[in-house]
Amino acid sequence: MAIKKIHIENSVRRLRFNNDEMTQQELADVIGISRQTIVAIEKYKYTPSLELAFKIALTFNKELQEVFFIKK
Amino acid sequence: MNIKLRNTLGEIISASIAIIWMYFKLNEAATMSITSITQVLVLGIGISILAAILLSIVISIFSSIITGRYEKNVEDERDHMIELYAMRLNGVIFGISIVIILGLLGWFNLHINFGIIAITLSGFLASISSNFLKIYFYK
Repeated sequence: MAIKKIHIENSVRRLRFNNDEMTQQELADVIGISRQTIVAIEKYKYTPSLELAFKIALTFNKELQEVFFIKK
Repeated sequence: MNIKLRNTLGEIISASIAIIWMYFKLNEAATMSITSITQVLVLGIGISILAAILLSIVISIFSSIITGRYEKNVEDERDHMIELYAMRLNGVIFGISIVIILGLLGWFNLHINFGIIAITLSGFLASISSNFLKIYFYK
């Protein structure tokens, strides 16, 4: 049976605030992407590639599944 | 409004300027020679490129003055994905337009001048449509 389309959510916004209220621009600069992409990720409008997802997780010193997860 | 939206709007405006300029220059296309038509079309393409560059510079200067800081245009994987979607739409619209134009030329026995103008304009329209798609994604 084919798996239905999954909706990946994330805790980037929460992690930013827990990380000395890091701004979207600061996070974007650390990872090397645009602030608009961070905005899109936080609004669940864009699911990043595995590489970018790992970069975000590494920035917050978290495991990938702690940052990106599927809400059941 | 972010820098990507501003740049995309700049591209739409520059393409529109070129289309309007060509429209006035090609008023009597039926009686014009093919050489003068192609000259107008090439100039039109040049105008659109120059206008896009100038608008990009002007928009960048004005936004820096208004916001008080220089916003870098960082390109990442999302931009590449959006660019890919836009290019696909561009190709589809341009391809369909060429087929329609060739069909019209053949069936209705239209003048070749019409075909050259229509192909160039369809290129511009495809570019404008793909830019609107970019705006949809960036909004």
